[in-house]
Amino acid sequence: MTTRRSFLSGAALIGAGMVTKAGAASLPEAPVQSSSTTAPPLAPPNGRPYNPVVTLNGWTLPWRMKDGVKEFHLVAEPVVREIAPGMTANLWGYNGQSPGPTIEVVEGDRVRIFVTNKLPEHTSVHWHGQLLPNGMDGVTGLTQPGIKPGKTFVYEFVARNAGTFMYHPHADEMAQMAMGMMGFWITHPKNPKQHAVDRDFVFLISAYDIEPGSYTPKINTMTDFNLWTFNSRAFPGIDPMVVRKDDRVRVRVGNLTMTNHPIHLHGHTFEVTGTDGGWVKPSARWPEVTTDIAVGQMRAIEFVADAPGDWAFHCHKSHHTMNAMGHDVPTMIGVDHKGVAAKINKLVPGYMVMGDKGGSMGDMRMPLPENTLPMMSGDGPFGGLEMGGMFTTMKVREGLARNDYKDPGWYQHPKGTVAYEWTGETPPAPRAPGVPEVPGPKPAADALNIKRDGGGHQHH
Amino acid sequence: MICLHKPGGAIAMAAALLLSGCASLSGDGGFKAAAAVSEQRTGAPASVAGRLPQNDDDGRALAAVIEQKLAQPLTANDAVHIALLNNRGLQATYWSLGIAEADLVQAGRLQNPVLDFKRSHGGGALEIERTLTFNLLGIITAPMAGRIEGRRYEQSKLLVANEAVRVALDTRRAWVAAVAASQSADYAQQVEASAQASAELAQRMRDAGNWSAMDVAREQAYHAQTSADVNAARKGAVMAREKLTRLMGLAGVQAAYKLPGHLPDLPAVPSELADIEQVAVNERLDIQAAKLDVAHTASTLGLTKTTRFINVLDLGLVANSEGATNTRGYEIALEIPLFDWGSTRVARAEATYMQAANMLAQTAINARSEARESYADYRASYDLARHYRDQVLPARKKLADETLLRYNGMLMSVFELLADAREQASAVRGYIAAQQDFWTAQANLEAALGGRLPAQTIHQESKQGDQP
Ligand SMILES: [Cu+2]
Repeated sequence: MTTRRSFLSGAALIGAGMVTKAGAASLPEAPVQSSSTTAPPLAPPNGRPYNPVVTLNGWTLPWRMKDGVKEFHLVAEPVVREIAPGMTANLWGYNGQSPGPTIEVVEGDRVRIFVTNKLPEHTSVHWHGQLLPNGMDGVTGLTQPGIKPGKTFVYEFVARNAGTFMYHPHADEMAQMAMGMMGFWITHPKNPKQHAVDRDFVFLISAYDIEPGSYTPKINTMTDFNLWTFNSRAFPGIDPMVVRKDDRVRVRVGNLTMTNHPIHLHGHTFEVTGTDGGWVKPSARWPEVTTDIAVGQMRAIEFVADAPGDWAFHCHKSHHTMNAMGHDVPTMIGVDHKGVAAKINKLVPGYMVMGDKGGSMGDMRMPLPENTLPMMSGDGPFGGLEMGGMFTTMKVREGLARNDYKDPGWYQHPKGTVAYEWTGETPPAPRAPGVPEVPGPKPAADALNIKRDGGGHQHH
Repeated sequence: MICLHKPGGAIAMAAALLLSGCASLSGDGGFKAAAAVSEQRTGAPASVAGRLPQNDDDGRALAAVIEQKLAQPLTANDAVHIALLNNRGLQATYWSLGIAEADLVQAGRLQNPVLDFKRSHGGGALEIERTLTFNLLGIITAPMAGRIEGRRYEQSKLLVANEAVRVALDTRRAWVAAVAASQSADYAQQVEASAQASAELAQRMRDAGNWSAMDVAREQAYHAQTSADVNAARKGAVMAREKLTRLMGLAGVQAAYKLPGHLPDLPAVPSELADIEQVAVNERLDIQAAKLDVAHTASTLGLTKTTRFINVLDLGLVANSEGATNTRGYEIALEIPLFDWGSTRVARAEATYMQAANMLAQTAINARSEARESYADYRASYDLARHYRDQVLPARKKLADETLLRYNGMLMSVFELLADAREQASAVRGYIAAQQDFWTAQANLEAALGGRLPAQTIHQESKQGDQP
């Protein structure tokens, strides 16, 4: 792993994908990141000042100033991304990671970006949302030839308008985006005080179809994805967003999947303050707790984190907060397995009944195919979180330092502020007129007596 | 007046007495000699007390041996042993050897003399005629008949031994088929059990409101089909078992013998046989019998050529060659052939010889071809069975393991788990069939080579466990 500090000081630039000075003396360094942890914000060492963002489970690309031009170097290359502990994916990305590093510039900056292609096929980079000369727009065949493997192209333009953008290939898009090629782009306003917030998180939404037991996404999948990710990470692999109580928080989200995602925050209301088209006038903003982010869109939401706690932050499509699952598995709820289970067990040693009480696997930890995340996992202070995919937490705490993004652990609830079991007498629950006592099929006799063995396959 | 017709009777009687000492019954009908050959070829003794069962004691001893073998699941070797002891058709063949021997001995003996007493009245005179009749021809032909029957008897012994070897190999094949068939029936049952579990669970799914009638019907139709498959497999198993039962000559409570649950494992390596054609030509009893036939016709032909006489003369001269003492005894009674039957006789004998010689040649050609074919089949069957064992089954097992992992992760349903269990069983069935083919091919190879495979390969295989 190369930390931000080490590549800023110019030391220990490592990685197979690095373009060396000897090999390309006129190119800026192409730092490589191998860790998937969230890097702290990169304070600008030169040029115009700005308030840096935090890329969730990602990092920002350092630059070189040359004759007043900010020079970046992206290397498109195959990478291995840890989707979550226990699972890695063979993806394509930039400078050692998918998504690639976030590029942060300031409104009015002249930017020169070197793009070296180390993929086995040609590529290009489209600067999504930028206002630039047509020949710099990065659409293969339309505005430029593809960058052949081993070649380096240069893009140069002025970052004209401040806002939230992204970059991605416009060459063999279907394959290259399905393989994870994407990155965030922030153009900060000239005046750092304009739209200033205390914490500014960014991530891109992407989806993969990686067959359980395999490593490479099925790039031809159209809709039936099984891994829904923020910055190519799935819960429990997504870092929490740590904020200080009463901080003004911005979260910028871009959607590069093939469906929309209603992103939902608990405990607060927020406003959508920006799109990839620019900032929304204060008079046009309205309060939300969920905002739908359509395909190819960027959204910036803002709120004041005034409620301490560990607040869920997730896509509201329930399948998107799951990891790999069988979409053709029939519903087993309420199916009486008595007698049959023993027969099946004789034929298939190791079989145990699942799903007859619902989808929850409780504390079961069953062996899975290699390189496969459990459908829903992650542990919380009160037990299994039963979440995967596009889920993380917004951890609001009092008294954090300004640049402290360290996970503060689970929230300590003030006494009397946690839901609790009622042990007194239960008053009768009113029923709608005409509704029978037990609607639908009878639940299994032992539905309330679920006992599952944590470790093994033992049949209950 | 009493007169003795039949001139030369005294001489004939003397000759008969001499001849009668030439041959006698062996007491076991030649069974021991044939049994020794079959024992060497089949690896199992063909008798309980070294002889054919002849009385109640023998029968009880045989029953005791069989009972002891039937006490545990029957191995292939035990099945062969029982068949050699107890197959009634084979027993009949053994007794035919006794018949051949009796013929041989009979051929060397005089027919009993016939005393004819005739009393007649005529014209006041009483005439009493007593005739002592000997079969003169019998006396003259006895030595030659003895030689002919002797060769025939030797041939019979080989053919009887061959029959024993054939029964042994049939039994071995039948044992392999019976074990494989019952094993296949067990697997059909396992498939049926999986289909039944599917169908039952499908009905529960329907009862809970989770599945439609169509989903249930699909599972139930499949279950019905697998039930039919079980019946068919059981039918096949009964047929295969009954064939084995017949070969072992078992009936009544004995027919309730148990078979092992599965075929023996494959040997670690297949037998490497060089010169299989030579082995077949040297070892096969049918070739030896054919050789004997050729030798027999050759000597007949030689005799015929030198004598150019037909039957009686032939025999007379042969008898003559046996010893000068007999010559006078029948010379006087011999007829000289009136026609030149000698040349036709020679032609016939030549033709008979050529026939036998060609039969031998064809037998040898067949034997060599069968040896090549069965050895190639043996090796190919081994490779196929090994492929099932080392590739197909482990791959199926891996697939089953992976399927279970996917079930664990709720990536696949229990129905896919059950479907995989069914497919796994069909792969196992394929392995059983391949194993059956291999052990059958080995039995066929043994048949083609005239007995068991060379000892060192048997030894290697026996390390693997019981082999059929
Ligand atoms: Cu979603």
